[in-house]
Amino acid sequence: MSGSTPKQTVGALPDTTTDSPFVPVALTWLTWSLFAASLAALFGRVRLGFAPEVPGVVAVDGLTVLMWVVVAFFSGIVHSYSRRYMAGSANETEFFLAVFGFSIAVMALVAADHVALFGALWLAMGLLMAKLIGVVSGWEQARAAAAVARRSFLASSALLGVALAALWWATGATTVSGIAASADALGGPVWLLAAVALVLAAMIQSALVPFHGWLLSSMTAPTPASALMHAGFVNAGGVLLLRFAPVVTVDERLMLAIVAVGAASALLGKLLKSVRADVKSKLACSTSGQMGFMIMQAGLGFFGAAITHLVLHGFYKAYQFLGSGQLVERTSPEKKARRATGGSGVADVAVMLLTGLAGGAAFVLLTGKGTSVDSGLLLVLFVVFTTLHAARSAVRHVSLPASVRYGAIPLVFLPAITVYALVYKGVSGLLTGVPVASAPTELTALHGLVAVAFLAAYVAIEAGVHERSRRLYVALLNAGQPSPGTVLTNANEYDNGGAQ
Amino acid sequence: MSTHSTIEDGIDDAATTVGSVWPIHSFVTANPLSGFEDMTFGEAVTQATDLLGGRGYPSRETFRMALDDGRIDPERLESALADRGYDADPETLLERVDAGAESGARTDESDADESDTAAERVDTVLAKWLSAFLDEGHATWSMPNREDGFYAAFRELAPHDGEIPDSGVLASLPDTPVETIEAVLEPYPEGQWVPIFEEQLAALPGWTGLIKQRAADGGAWQSACPITLAGYLAVRLALLDGFGVDVEPSTGPDAPDADPTDEVAEAFLSAWEASYRSAVVDRVSAESRKRAESDPSERPDAQLVFCIDTRSEVIRRHIEAAGEYETHGYAGFFGIPMEYRGYDAEVSVDACPPILDAQHRISEVPTDGEAKDRHNRWSSVREVAGEVVKKLKTNPASAFGFVENAGSGYGLALAARTLIPGRVHGLLDTADAAVPDDHEFCDQIVRHQHTHAGDLPVGLTREERVEYAATAFELMGWTEFGRLVAFVGHASETTNNPYDSSLDCGACAGNPGGPNARVLAEICADPDVRAALRDRGFEIPEDTVFLAGEHNTTTDEIELYGDVPESHADDLEGLRADLAAAREDATAERASSMGGDAAASVDETERRAADWAETRPEWGLAGNAGFVVGPRELTSDLDLDGRAFLHSYDWSTDPDGDALEAILTGPMVVTQWINAQYYFSTVDNAVYGSGSKVTHNPVGNVGVYQGNGGDLMTGLPLQSLMAADDEPYHQPLRLSTVVHAPVERVAEALADHEAVVQLLDNDWLSLTVVDPTQEHRAFEYERDMEWRPAPEPAASDPAAADPEAPAAPEREPAPAAADD
Repeated sequence: MSGSTPKQTVGALPDTTTDSPFVPVALTWLTWSLFAASLAALFGRVRLGFAPEVPGVVAVDGLTVLMWVVVAFFSGIVHSYSRRYMAGSANETEFFLAVFGFSIAVMALVAADHVALFGALWLAMGLLMAKLIGVVSGWEQARAAAAVARRSFLASSALLGVALAALWWATGATTVSGIAASADALGGPVWLLAAVALVLAAMIQSALVPFHGWLLSSMTAPTPASALMHAGFVNAGGVLLLRFAPVVTVDERLMLAIVAVGAASALLGKLLKSVRADVKSKLACSTSGQMGFMIMQAGLGFFGAAITHLVLHGFYKAYQFLGSGQLVERTSPEKKARRATGGSGVADVAVMLLTGLAGGAAFVLLTGKGTSVDSGLLLVLFVVFTTLHAARSAVRHVSLPASVRYGAIPLVFLPAITVYALVYKGVSGLLTGVPVASAPTELTALHGLVAVAFLAAYVAIEAGVHERSRRLYVALLNAGQPSPGTVLTNANEYDNGGAQ
Repeated sequence: MSTHSTIEDGIDDAATTVGSVWPIHSFVTANPLSGFEDMTFGEAVTQATDLLGGRGYPSRETFRMALDDGRIDPERLESALADRGYDADPETLLERVDAGAESGARTDESDADESDTAAERVDTVLAKWLSAFLDEGHATWSMPNREDGFYAAFRELAPHDGEIPDSGVLASLPDTPVETIEAVLEPYPEGQWVPIFEEQLAALPGWTGLIKQRAADGGAWQSACPITLAGYLAVRLALLDGFGVDVEPSTGPDAPDADPTDEVAEAFLSAWEASYRSAVVDRVSAESRKRAESDPSERPDAQLVFCIDTRSEVIRRHIEAAGEYETHGYAGFFGIPMEYRGYDAEVSVDACPPILDAQHRISEVPTDGEAKDRHNRWSSVREVAGEVVKKLKTNPASAFGFVENAGSGYGLALAARTLIPGRVHGLLDTADAAVPDDHEFCDQIVRHQHTHAGDLPVGLTREERVEYAATAFELMGWTEFGRLVAFVGHASETTNNPYDSSLDCGACAGNPGGPNARVLAEICADPDVRAALRDRGFEIPEDTVFLAGEHNTTTDEIELYGDVPESHADDLEGLRADLAAAREDATAERASSMGGDAAASVDETERRAADWAETRPEWGLAGNAGFVVGPRELTSDLDLDGRAFLHSYDWSTDPDGDALEAILTGPMVVTQWINAQYYFSTVDNAVYGSGSKVTHNPVGNVGVYQGNGGDLMTGLPLQSLMAADDEPYHQPLRLSTVVHAPVERVAEALADHEAVVQLLDNDWLSLTVVDPTQEHRAFEYERDMEWRPAPEPAASDPAAADPEAPAAPEREPAPAAADD
C-alpha cells in the first residue's frame, strides 16, 4: 500500500497512439456538410421552389433533393461509424475515398439530366461499389467477389446504355427529362427493347432474383460498406424506374410484368433467407426480397410508395448490418418447441381481425392509397396482413396481462402507420413535379394472383407445410450460395493487408 | 470386425492433431496446437505448419520492432544465438527469418492443378452442409433430418443436390459411415489410413475443430443433432471420391523437415522471453528479500479476491493505492466447478475451466416477490415483442409492412448509436436499472437438494462447501481475515461483438464470474462452514463479513452485491467510494493504452462498452506474458502493466506443497492455454486467429466467417491483438511462470504430474522459482526435472536490467530510483 509513490514498471507495453489520418476526418466532415447543404436544398425546394438546372445537363427536382438528403445521411452515418470501426485498417484511406466517391456519384446521378452523364454516373457508381467489395485487395476471395460484382454492374450499365441509346434514337431527346416528355409517342419494338433493358438494369441493380448472385457474394466488403450497399446502392433500381416512369408506364402489360418479377423476388427472397445460417447472407436475401417488394410497388404504379419503401428499408437494413455483430446468441434446441397456445377464442379472433382492419383503415385514410378500386388495394392488403399477424402473435401469449395482449399492437402500430403515412405524404409531396409519380393501374387477374400467392405463402409458412419438401430445401440452400471462388475454404488465403 | 475398429481408432488417433474449437457464444481460449503438446514446441510448429499451413514464430518485422524498442536484451540475444551455434551478427541473422516463407508456403495456390480445384469444390460443398447442420438456431428453416445425425441427413439429401456428382461411392452411399470410409480407402494400404485421416481432418480445421469439441462435450445440440468425426470423414471421403480427388497423403510417415530459419527465430523468441522474464524475476527476488526483513502488516480494512486474470493486476494496484486494502488473486471460478443456470435463463452454462467437468448444478430461486414480478413483467414483454418482430420479419406477407412501419424508428436508432454512443450507454443503464437484476431478487441454491439436474447434483453438500472454502484460503495462503472480504468475479461489457465471451472470465469458460463469486461468499457466510473452517485452522473473526461482486473489465466498475449488517455499513460505504476512485485511476491508465483521453477516462471506457462501431472495446488479456505465484507483496510495488497473471500463494503456510501442486496443475495449465491462444493468434492471425473484424460474418450462432463463407475462423480477431493492421499490441511471448517457493517443494509438486512436466520439457512455457530459503535466488527449470541458477541481475541499476521498459518515461518518472 504504497500510496502515490510511483511504482516501478516492468515490461510496459507501448501506448497506442491515436493519430487520426487526415482523409477519413476530412471526408467525414465534408459528408456531413453535404448533408446540411442537402437539408437546405430540401427546405429551399419545399418553401421556395428551389430547382436549379443547367439545361440539357443537370436538373434538380423533388426526387433529387430527397435522394440528396437520404444518401448524404446514410453516407454520413457510414463515415462516422467507420471512423471508429475501420480505425487501424490497412485499407482505411482507400475505403473512405471509395465510400465518399460512391456517395458523390449517387448524388450526381439523381441530378443528372443528360443521358450520357446519367449512364456514365451509373457505371461509376457500380465500379466504385465493386471497388468497395474488393477493398481488402490482398485477399484473393475479395478480389474474386469484386470481379463477380463488377461483371454484374457492367452488364447493368450495358443494358442501361442500350435503353438510353434506343430512347434517344426513338425520341431524339438527349436528356432524361426530354425523353420523359416525349414518352407518350413511344411504342413498338424500339420501345420494348428500351423498356425491357431498363427493367433488367433495375433488376440487376436491386439484386432481384435471379440476379441476386452478386449481392450474396459481396460479404468481403467491410461491414459499413455493406450497410451503404443495402441502404443506398440497391435503391438505384427504384430510382431508375421512377426517372423513366413515363417510358415504363406506356404499356400496362409491362407494368404487370414488373409486378410479377417484383412479387416473385419478394417471395423468393424471403424463402432463400429462411435457410441461411450466416448473418450477412440472411440480410442479403432479405434485401433481395425487400427490393422485389419495392419494384412491385413501382409496377403497381405507386412510385412514391416505392421510393418511401426504399428509404425506410435503408434505415432498417443499414441498422441491421452495422449491428450484425450482436446477432450471436446462445440458444437451446428446444426453443422452437415452445409455442404460444392462445389466440383461438372468439374474443381473440375478433380483436385480431379488428386490429388488422383498423390498421388497414388508418392506412387508407392517411395515405389515400386504396381509396379507389385499383392496384392500391393490394398495398392495403399488406398493411392489414402485417397488423393482423402482429396482433395474432401477441394475442397468443396468454401469459401476458390482457391489456398488453390486446392493447399493445394497436398502441404501437397505429402510431407507426401514422409515421409511415407522414413520410409517404412527404415523399409524395416532393415528387409532385416528377412526370409520373403515381399511376395506379387497373386491377387484373394477375393482381389477384399476386394476392393469392402471398396469402398462400402466409398460410404455408405459418403452418410450415413447405418444410416438408427436401427438394425445396436443397434448391433454396443452393440458390443462396455465394459464387464458389469468393468462399474462403483455406484460411491461409485470407490476407487483410497488414504487415503481419 | 477388425477393419471397423482400425478405422475408428485411426480417426481417434488422427483427431488429436485437430485443435478443439468452441462455439463462439462461449469462447474458450485454448492452445490451437494442444494436440501437439507431446512434442517440443519447435517440432510442434513444424508439423502444424506442414499440416495447417500456419506459421509458428513471430515475423521478422515483429522481431525488428522488438529489437528497435529495446525489448530484446542484446546480450541475451547473443548468447541465445551462440547456444544454437550462430555467431553471425544478429542483424544479419534476422534477415534470414522468413526468407524461406516469402518464397514458399503462401504462394502454393498459384500452381493449383485440377485436383486442387476439385478439392476446393469438395470443401465448398462440405462447408455448405456443415453450416446447415451445425447451425444453432439461426436459420428459421433448419436442415431436414438433422436428428438422425450428420451422415444420415446428408445421405438423405445428397440426391437432391445438383452440386454433388452421382459417381463413385456417392452413387449409392452405404448405410453407415464406417462402410463408406472403408469403401473409399480400399485402394490404399492400411498404413496410410491415419495420415489420410490427419490430412483430411486438417482441411477445414475450423469446422472439424467444432465437430470434435461438440462430439466430446455432448451438449444439448449434440444430443438433438448428433455429429461424429467418423460421420464427417465419411461424407468428406465420399465427396472426394465422387469428385475424383486422389486422397493419397502428400506427407509420408516421416516427420517433415524443420525450416532451418525457424531455429534463428526460436533464438530471437527465447531471448525476448528471457529479457521480459529476467525483469520480472529480478524484481520478485528483490521484493522477496525485502519482505523477509519487514514486519507483518496490520489487519486490512478489506480484502478483495480477484481472478488471476491479467486485467485484475491493473485494478488491484489502484485499489491498494486507494486505502488500507489487501487484494488477492485466485482462479476466477473461485474453485467451484459448477454448471450455472441464471433465473429464467434459456440454457445453463459450465462456469468452470474447460480442463474440469462441472460437478454441481447451481440455480437461482427468486426470493423477493415484488422485484421478481417487476422483472418478469419486463422480460415477458420484451420476449413477446422480440417474438412478434421475428414473426413479422419471417413471413413474406408481413415483412414488407413491418419494414415500412418500423423504418423511421431504425433511422433514429441508427443516428443515435453512431453519433452519440456515450449517451446511449447512459440510456441503456437507466433502462437496465428499471428492471431488477437476478442477483437483486434471487438466491442461489447452494445447499445440497438431494435432487439432480441432468447428471449433476443440485447444490453442494456440507463437506463440499467446507472443502471449497478451505481450498480457497489454503491456496491463497490466508491466515488473517479483514472486516470485509469480497470475492470479485469479472465480466466484460461490449456491444455488437461476436467475441464478447472471449473477454469474459477464462476460468469460467468464457462466462461472467459473478455467480461463482456469489457461491463462495454464500458458503463462507454460513456459520456451519465457518465453524468447520475454524477446526481446520482458519480463525475467521466474528466480525468478518463475506461479500460477492463483479468487476466490469471494460469500464472497471466494480459492483459489490447485496448488503451488510448495520455494523459494517460504514466499512462498505467507504470501500465503495474507494473502488470508484480506483476505477478512475485504472481507466485513466487503460484509456491511454487504447489511445483514448485519460482525462475523461470513465466516459471513454463507457463509450467503448456501448459503442457499436468500436472494434477494440478493451484489450482483454492482450500483452499477457507472465504468471507470478506468490504473496502479493512480491508484486505490489510493481506496475506490471496488465501483463501478468497473479495467483496468491504463501509457501510458508503450505508445508506439504498440496496447494502448490493444485496451482501448478490447474491455474498454470489454464494460463498456458490462454497464453498460447494469444501467441498463435498473433503470429498467424489468418490460420490461428480470425482476421479483421471489419469483414466478419457470424454464422449459425457458433462461429464467424471471413466474408462470404467457407471454413469457420478460429482464435482471436485481429483487433484483440493489434493496435492497427500493421502495429502489434500483444507481444507474442510464451508464458513465463515465476513461483515463490523452495525449489525442492516445487520439484515435489511437479513430480507426479507427467503432463505438466511434459509441457515444461517441451518448452510450451517456462518456470522460474525464486527460492526464499536460498537467499531469494532464482532457479530456472531446464528439463527432466533439472534446475539451473538464473543469471544474476546485471547491475545495481534496475532500469538497466529492465530492457522491457525503456520507452515509457511518462510512466516511470524516477528512472534510477532503486527500490522505491
